Amino acid sequence: MARYAMVIDLHKCVGCQACTMACNSEWEVPAGYARTRVRFAGPEGAFPNLVASPYVAQCNHCDNPPCVKACPTGATYQTDEGIVVIDRALCIGCGFCVEACPYSARFLNPVINKVDKCDFCSARLEKDLQPACVATCTAHAKFFGDLEDSGSDVFRLVYEQGARRNESPAAHPGPNVYYSGKKANVDLALAAFPPRPPRLLTQGRFWKGFVKPLVLGMVGATFLGQAVAFFQQLKKGEGQFDD
Amino acid sequence: MPFETLPLEPVELTAEQAEVMAQRQLKKHHVAIILLHWFNATVWLLELATGAGLIASSYFRFAPDWYLEILTSIFGSRANMLRFHISLGVTWIVVFAVYGIFGFRTYLEMEVLQREIALDRDDWRWLRIRLLRMLKRTAEALAPQGIYNAGQKLFAVMIYCMIPVIMATGVIMAFHLFGMAAVRWSIVVHFLAVGVVVSGLIVHVYMGAVFPEEKPAFFSMITGMVNELYAYRHHFKWWKEVKMQEREWERAFETGQPPAPAAPAAEPPLAVQPPARAASIFRSRDYWPPYVAGAGLGLTLLATFIVMGQGLGASGGFTRYLVAVIASFAPGYAAAHPYWSNYYQPGQSPLLDFLVFELIGAAIGGFVSGWLSGRLRVSVDKGPRISNRTRYALALGGGILTGIGARLARGCTSGLALSGGAVLSAGAFAFMMAVFAAGFAGAYLMRRYWL
Repeated sequence: MARYAMVIDLHKCVGCQACTMACNSEWEVPAGYARTRVRFAGPEGAFPNLVASPYVAQCNHCDNPPCVKACPTGATYQTDEGIVVIDRALCIGCGFCVEACPYSARFLNPVINKVDKCDFCSARLEKDLQPACVATCTAHAKFFGDLEDSGSDVFRLVYEQGARRNESPAAHPGPNVYYSGKKANVDLALAAFPPRPPRLLTQGRFWKGFVKPLVLGMVGATFLGQAVAFFQQLKKGEGQFDD
Repeated sequence: MPFETLPLEPVELTAEQAEVMAQRQLKKHHVAIILLHWFNATVWLLELATGAGLIASSYFRFAPDWYLEILTSIFGSRANMLRFHISLGVTWIVVFAVYGIFGFRTYLEMEVLQREIALDRDDWRWLRIRLLRMLKRTAEALAPQGIYNAGQKLFAVMIYCMIPVIMATGVIMAFHLFGMAAVRWSIVVHFLAVGVVVSGLIVHVYMGAVFPEEKPAFFSMITGMVNELYAYRHHFKWWKEVKMQEREWERAFETGQPPAPAAPAAEPPLAVQPPARAASIFRSRDYWPPYVAGAGLGLTLLATFIVMGQGLGASGGFTRYLVAVIASFAPGYAAAHPYWSNYYQPGQSPLLDFLVFELIGAAIGGFVSGWLSGRLRVSVDKGPRISNRTRYALALGGGILTGIGARLARGCTSGLALSGGAVLSAGAFAFMMAVFAAGFAGAYLMRRYWL
């Protein structure tokens, strides 16, 4: 079983947004929204020692995705290959996952009113194609492959050249998008776009803390009450009501 | 004859009275309500089963794994389960809306609600005594009740409050309306409202299906009838109402005077015992009840799908008759015509089609039905203020408009609305809504031809 990952070389990336455009046209993402997008950190420091870096934001296909736990209908799930996908037929557009994602990688697609995000181009993978952003990257800064295949680019970049995950003590869901390149670049980019702790919205806390126990309690109590009444009835017998 | 005069309060019955009353039936539920009840029960059962399976995440869910697995294997996928849940829910809303619109006066007008579900002083007393009796604190007799007892009324009030909430939140979730926060709140509120109903439903089902004293109430939801003894003992105020009405009518029949308006006389005089009422809805030589006929039509439709592989239709059949006539005069023209050529190739009769024979069958069936119920006669059905000739002209004009409309919509009420609706075609539902909307408007505009 494969374990897919993506590595982005921030030193090679020129911030041209070709990946954004390729993805938007491949998946008909509405204008103004994007599944992947290059953002910029810096410049920082004093001339002539300035540092600036692009940062590619997208779904990280985490090992422990907080969005999957937050999705009430199970529309968001993780495949055996580690890809986090959305079953559009099941998504009702509630947005619990949007708030749960530490990387703000999810958004409500206003055309279908359902949640949208990167799925590592699962449909292209089935046809043995690279993800659209990887295939189109002008600087060849994006690498995609299987972490369990020791011959793959991503294996080399992650396990031999020390590409890094964007994690923090507050949010460490095990992202599978890695960043490599010059250390100063990567440091700056990861510091500028840290993950935020996963959030569970009010309605979710209300559900777990109040509504679910209330409903289960109510239904359970009436059921128990009727069960008691039933056994009393059994003991009393039915003969006296002949009408 | 159980009573010389109607008692004001429930009195102890003699064995003889009880025996006579146990034999006699009163009509409690109309067949429309019985059908709605069982439709509703089926929908609730299926919606609860699938709804519990739709909440699947580790954080929100309450159903165990094996339950989700069973449901998923029944539906093939969870997406199918959601589609089923939504389609059934929408059907449920449509059926309730139809009942609400057409039965507004019967079921929803304030007076009806006040009489049937609002709790009066007797009801509150009944609840108090009932509770004390359950706790074995009193042996007092229960307060007399109307057509529904206080428990049933409480359940009804709860249902009337919760069902609109369930429908609205369901629609918001199904069609992703009003943004993410609205959908999130809908999830919570939908679940809460269903939970409230289910806890009432458990009592309702126990009372109806298990509790021995209420057995007649359960059977009345099948036959529509309850025996008089049960009505007397459990719904005294309703029983008295029915009896007083019967006596009013009896007296009117004997004296030839119209019955007085329903001002309840304190002790109405005794009259001759009315004959037992007919139990069967098919006894009359009138038209079939529309709900039974509707169910029959549905079964016919199902049968044609199974036997013929296609649904019912009418306008398509008429088109074929027309094409047959034209092809007999000008076969080349019919074969070259962009529309008629769909139905006609040279050397093949356009009449060799199921719809053509179905129309013949429909005419024969209508004739037989009219003959069996003694309604067969030659007449022109029209309003009192117009002549036969106006009626013919209107019928012809209406027929032409209907024909054009049916061909524009690529089907009529049978082919598009009925057969298309049966296969859940979106066009069929759009067509039906358009037909009813135009029908209401048209009926209003044409009312003086009928009144």
